[in-house]
Amino acid sequence: MQFDNIVPLRWPSGPLEIARREKSAGFDAQARQTLERWHDPAALEFLKGTAIDCIVISWAAGLAADAEQQRTAAPLIEAAKRLNLAVVGWGEGTADHNTAIAAAQAAGLTAVAIHGLRGKPEYPVIAWSERTDVPWDSTAPAVAIGDGVWPGVAPSSGGGGSSSAGPTGVPWLDSNGWYIQMARVRLQAPLWVVFDPPTPPAVVPAQSYVKAICDTETAGGRWLITLDDKLRADLAAGTTAGWKDIAAAAGFFKAHPDWKAYRSLGLVGILSDFEGADFDLSGEILNLMARRDLLFRVIWKSQAQGTEQPFSGLKALVYADAKPPEPALRRKITAFVEQGGLFVTGQEWGKAGVPKPPNFETQFDVFAVGKGRLAIAKAALDDPYQLAAETQLLLSHRNDLVKIYNSPSAGCTRYTASPDGKTALLQCLSYADSRWAGLRTIWVRERYPSTRLWTIDTPPAALEAHPSEEYAGVEYRLPEKATQAYLALEFERQRT
Amino acid sequence: MNRRQFVSGLGAAGVALIQPAGMRAAAPTAPVAIAKCKSYGDEYLAATAKMFDQLGGLGRIVKGKTVTIKINLTGVENARQDYLPQGRTIWTHPRTVGTVIHLLDKAGARRIRVVEGAWMWPASLEEFMWKAGWDPELLLGAAPRVELVNTNLPYKGKQPYTRFPVPQGGLLFPAYDLSSVYAESDVLVSMNKIKEHGTAGVTLSIKNLFGITPTTIYGNKVPKDQPAPRPYAGRTDIGHMGNRQPPSSSLPEKDPGSPRQAGYRIPRIVADLAAAAPVSLALLDGIDTVAGAELPRPGTTVAISPGVLVAGLNAVNTDAVAMAVMGLDPMADRGKVPFETCDNTLRLAEELGVGTRDLGRIEVVGASIKDVVFRFRDYGGPRQRRLPGNRPAA
Repeated sequence: MQFDNIVPLRWPSGPLEIARREKSAGFDAQARQTLERWHDPAALEFLKGTAIDCIVISWAAGLAADAEQQRTAAPLIEAAKRLNLAVVGWGEGTADHNTAIAAAQAAGLTAVAIHGLRGKPEYPVIAWSERTDVPWDSTAPAVAIGDGVWPGVAPSSGGGGSSSAGPTGVPWLDSNGWYIQMARVRLQAPLWVVFDPPTPPAVVPAQSYVKAICDTETAGGRWLITLDDKLRADLAAGTTAGWKDIAAAAGFFKAHPDWKAYRSLGLVGILSDFEGADFDLSGEILNLMARRDLLFRVIWKSQAQGTEQPFSGLKALVYADAKPPEPALRRKITAFVEQGGLFVTGQEWGKAGVPKPPNFETQFDVFAVGKGRLAIAKAALDDPYQLAAETQLLLSHRNDLVKIYNSPSAGCTRYTASPDGKTALLQCLSYADSRWAGLRTIWVRERYPSTRLWTIDTPPAALEAHPSEEYAGVEYRLPEKATQAYLALEFERQRT
Repeated sequence: MNRRQFVSGLGAAGVALIQPAGMRAAAPTAPVAIAKCKSYGDEYLAATAKMFDQLGGLGRIVKGKTVTIKINLTGVENARQDYLPQGRTIWTHPRTVGTVIHLLDKAGARRIRVVEGAWMWPASLEEFMWKAGWDPELLLGAAPRVELVNTNLPYKGKQPYTRFPVPQGGLLFPAYDLSSVYAESDVLVSMNKIKEHGTAGVTLSIKNLFGITPTTIYGNKVPKDQPAPRPYAGRTDIGHMGNRQPPSSSLPEKDPGSPRQAGYRIPRIVADLAAAAPVSLALLDGIDTVAGAELPRPGTTVAISPGVLVAGLNAVNTDAVAMAVMGLDPMADRGKVPFETCDNTLRLAEELGVGTRDLGRIEVVGASIKDVVFRFRDYGGPRQRRLPGNRPAA
């Protein structure tokens, strides 16, 4: 079974899930009834005709109810198989790994997901972990990573119902995109991202689910779709309003598996070992750059060391790890700077070159080195916000590849190219309702022979490029309806 | 509301009671030129050059002088009216700036500085332009000795800020601390669109001056005792609402008991600035603009093309003529179109002796007002529809 393009849906049901939840706040008779009804094979009905091709059922948690769960799930598993659905058992808590795997094998599950599993069992086991303990070198059919956030514009802490903003007014977006991009560069296996919808009293509209799917998929991951109690209760009762939008979004990305292999066209490289405190700082830099739409490319130090020209195509490189790079890597960085690149790093690198201060207040001393520049922090690198903001200024917006107009609460834009270089893809997200913002325009520096607009709910359409009136590049005028959470421009780079 | 607030809130009517008629009559006047113009290329160059000639020639104003062009890049850099670039709707058009730089240089200007306090922008004006989708090199290359200055940052001269006292003591503040680039200026040029404004009724050459107040001093979140090292936010707290005073290093408001209403405060701040930092040349662009408000607001603003330019050597005179071109009455009091919820900035500036708004006292050269009038209130969205009694006859 290949997990590359599976669309999984978390399927909480049965005695184990009831045992797990019955002592938690807010667990009431309706919640119990929903878990019971979802254990009934009839509950699978709403999946028919959708892209969902995998259910992830509660399987083992180290509780007394584990055995009863596995026994009573048999009809559900059989029904799922008849619908050509893969069935994955979800193991967590103190569940004994070997017991859970054996039970899954006996029950004919497609695979089992085991929290914290190391090793290489013969039976298909999806490795799942938190962000702090990812088995990066796993050969599992898929890797599931928890600790995800619910994507969207963070609620304001200042009252008034407005969206919150950072020091310069950029709306505070919660997104997993930066992390997924980072993980995808390192992992060999498909990445499942695990996070739950907000709990009551929050109401989770269908469009919020769509954003969660888009945020994950745009970055190259796959969300283990997890529905809130209210929606699951509605679906169990046969009410499918909103579900169609969620299923459509899942189906859209399932139809574009090749996009996940596309590589970032970002001009800024973030080089790190992404471990411990280095992960905390470099991860937050990625997060903040994504929110600013500063297009980046993740470079794991281990991969850079094994690559002859790891920085080709970049104009800037950020290195914020505490430990200076090893001599061989330092030589590659130095060559990058001398050939015209900008290198932003901490004091440990050491000052070199001719002072070349920029025309704004900055936390960096900037030096000209060869054809490039070296930006050395004046003090300890401990402010990722400033680092992200100033890297963008040091690089200069004159190098922007993309600009998006009338798209409030946008961010985490991805601009990628196919491995063969023939196609470029610009995926744009909007985390708030942007219908009020008016018609959207996207400016792109490069002129492409042809462009198609993709949205989730409409067929692809050719899009005309208009030369920019006041600037270089071209502009794409998006139709009025293109104000949804997601859209993509697919560019033909070379005529075939 | 106490009596003082009541009298203040009366706006024009209230002040007219205490304003000597002779003061209005004595307010300065200078010719204002009007030109029909449909585009921003060669036609704009020819029309502008002709207007400058009609005003007596640019050379006599700028030769050997340091000229500061205050452009207008209001709002955020990524908001547009529909698909149109901001220069066609809400901002100064970049090609008009390039053209005027060229003409100023030709007329003998010694040094030309293009300035703006780009909203919350912590870096150079050049960088803001790149971000917004302008090519600043077109401006920097339009003549020798051109500089771009973000006046929201501390000026990198002898001193970052210079105090500009308001003649007659000021209406809201007795003095304003502005970027010292303005102190080094011999000639201040105001270049912006002819537009309506949600708070001030209209936004013309003197309203453009609201943006000369540095947000390091008059912006939200500034320190209590000194200017912020970089701008953090817009001017809502101190400027619009009066929720707080500027840092103690600058002078506070004259009367903290005055109304905390934007419609009272903004016109007074603008009038103060027009008196403290007088505009020597006002150049208003009504080729393409918007009606309904000053910023893109779907459902309220609409893009329009009046095809007109207005220029003058006195900003209040120029604005008065521009209002007439918009189909509006520059003599209107508070409560009347377009000052339904604010005081008339032109009246306040007139009272400070900046210039007359009385069309009967202003010489109009070039095209006539009636030939170019374009009634803005016939356009725009719900804001106007909510005020049916205020719509002028078509």
